[in-house]
Amino acid sequence: MDTPELTAAPAGSTAFATTTKTVLREAGIGIALIVLIAAFSFTPYFLTASNITNILTQVTINLVLSIGMTFVILIGGIDLSVGSVLAFCAVVAGTVMNLPGLDPAAAVALATISAILAGMLFGVLNGLISAWWAIPSFIVTLGTLNIARGAALQVTNASTIYSFPPAFNAFGSQTIYGVPVLFLIALVLVAIGWFVLTKTVFGRVLYGIGNNEEAARLAGHNVFFYKVAAFTICGVLVGIGAIIYMARLNIASPIIGIGFELNAIAAVIIGGTSLSGGRGSVVGTLLGACIIGVLANGLILLGLSDFMRQMITGFVIILAVILDKYRERLTKA
Amino acid sequence: MKFAKLIAASILAGTLALPAASFAADKPVVGLVMKSLANEFFKNMLEGAKAHEAKRGDYTLKAVGMQSETDVETQINAIDSFITQKVSAIVVAPSDSRALVPPIKRAIDAGITVVNFDVALDDKAKQEAGLKLAFVGPDNREGAKMAGDALAKKLGAGAKVVIIEGNPGADNATQRKLGFDDAVAAGKLKLLDSRTAHWETEEANTVFTNMLTAHPDIQGVMAANDSMVLGVVKAIEAAGKTGKIEVVGFDNIPAVQPLLKEKKLLATVDQFGQQMAADAIDKALGVVAGGKPLEGWVKTDIKLVTSDDVK
Repeated sequence: MDTPELTAAPAGSTAFATTTKTVLREAGIGIALIVLIAAFSFTPYFLTASNITNILTQVTINLVLSIGMTFVILIGGIDLSVGSVLAFCAVVAGTVMNLPGLDPAAAVALATISAILAGMLFGVLNGLISAWWAIPSFIVTLGTLNIARGAALQVTNASTIYSFPPAFNAFGSQTIYGVPVLFLIALVLVAIGWFVLTKTVFGRVLYGIGNNEEAARLAGHNVFFYKVAAFTICGVLVGIGAIIYMARLNIASPIIGIGFELNAIAAVIIGGTSLSGGRGSVVGTLLGACIIGVLANGLILLGLSDFMRQMITGFVIILAVILDKYRERLTKA
Repeated sequence: MKFAKLIAASILAGTLALPAASFAADKPVVGLVMKSLANEFFKNMLEGAKAHEAKRGDYTLKAVGMQSETDVETQINAIDSFITQKVSAIVVAPSDSRALVPPIKRAIDAGITVVNFDVALDDKAKQEAGLKLAFVGPDNREGAKMAGDALAKKLGAGAKVVIIEGNPGADNATQRKLGFDDAVAAGKLKLLDSRTAHWETEEANTVFTNMLTAHPDIQGVMAANDSMVLGVVKAIEAAGKTGKIEVVGFDNIPAVQPLLKEKKLLATVDQFGQQMAADAIDKALGVVAGGKPLEGWVKTDIKLVTSDDVK
């Protein structure tokens, strides 16, 4: 999938040109989002403050998972386990939160740490197995998808955990000037992701690996370490996503998160990140997640049937990839 | 005949149930084919059946579950394997009301007593296969009507309501929608919108939040199961409309007990899932012991649960 041009410039040696291309790419997705919003604003209620708050809330979990997915897809991998791992992290955190003899603050802190550790564990596992034995991450994460789901069912005996400290619950629905706190957390994560990917050597090497793994290796980079790191970052974000899920809905159940990986992949792809790796950004992913969220919300406000909604979402994913092909040509010229 | 069956069953029980071989020698074997054990409802049902086996002590239970709600093949394989094992009875909760008809026909032709519970097999498919089989289970339509009636009684005629449905095409989802429609017609309610959230909490939260934006005047909502009730109640809280919108659900799961108590949930419907498999096994064993075959629809208990039922 590598083009000669990209192969010749691994690890972002032509920083200026790359930045210009990225900006152009993101501008395109941003325009698509604005067009979508403009189209829906003809329906009553769409542009009301409370509906915008709703959309931001609904986008949050997918956005957090998509940031992690961006890291993995950038190195040419994929993580199909995120939905199941989210359920596993949630039931671990839910169990910890209900441990006897903890005061609410300690319980929430401990639960958050354990969710992140549980997510990290699966991220490390995904990275280690796929990098050490050079197995496509598609297969490895299909395995861990089942392991995590089974483990979540096993530890809870298939039951739902539902009594969390009231303060935790209240935190989940708080807003600042109409912006949900949970979304603000996701925005901070986007900013961190953006910084890591564009302003650090670590991030540039990830792009390099996605463009041409062999070239990155020959340039002296420890590709094994970077691969494990990308999957671990994804796992950490899944852990955070699990806590956000719990704060928003006040439950932790082993059957939550089914299909979340597909929504995350869709957001990343609509956001202009190439499935073959090496191209894309978390800002694009942010816009991609917003497009999915706006679409889901707007189509319900329009009163469209469930089945039509599903079809339209499918069309948008395909359209995004086709547009990306044209953008690729334009920015290269 | 009955004696021969018992002998056959005992030989099998002896070879298959290894540790308890000498005790199981004269017990009939019941094969239980369940739906997804990842679902709390079926998990509890299986536990109820196991407790029932221990309590009765006069039969051996072999249970098979599946990985997901739509894993039809596992169920077909389970039935075929029970036929090979020559069990006395098969008690089955079909994951698909058509696809399970041929294997069930094979089991009956092999002389095995079959009881269909939880979800009814499709009448037309049964007719085409020349299969006559009773159904033991709750009336989902009647249950949903009870919940809808409670909503109508609370809100009065003309009230604006919506329903969050289960999986499109699933028999219980269809029946619950029809039951709610019955209540809407009987109570002269106004149904504003009807959407699926695939039985899921998070999706129900999102879908109901968006419905509430499109129709700010919603007064009542039915969620077709209690997992979705959890998402709907959170959506109402987030919109600051607690107490202004009445919610009814279905299943009476443990997680909604606090909501009933705080009156955030008006009512839900209990179909006594824990006992459902056990009841069906009782009925199967009755037939195996020489009782007369079941006919038509043997309805199991359903009950409307409100805050009065929660201590």
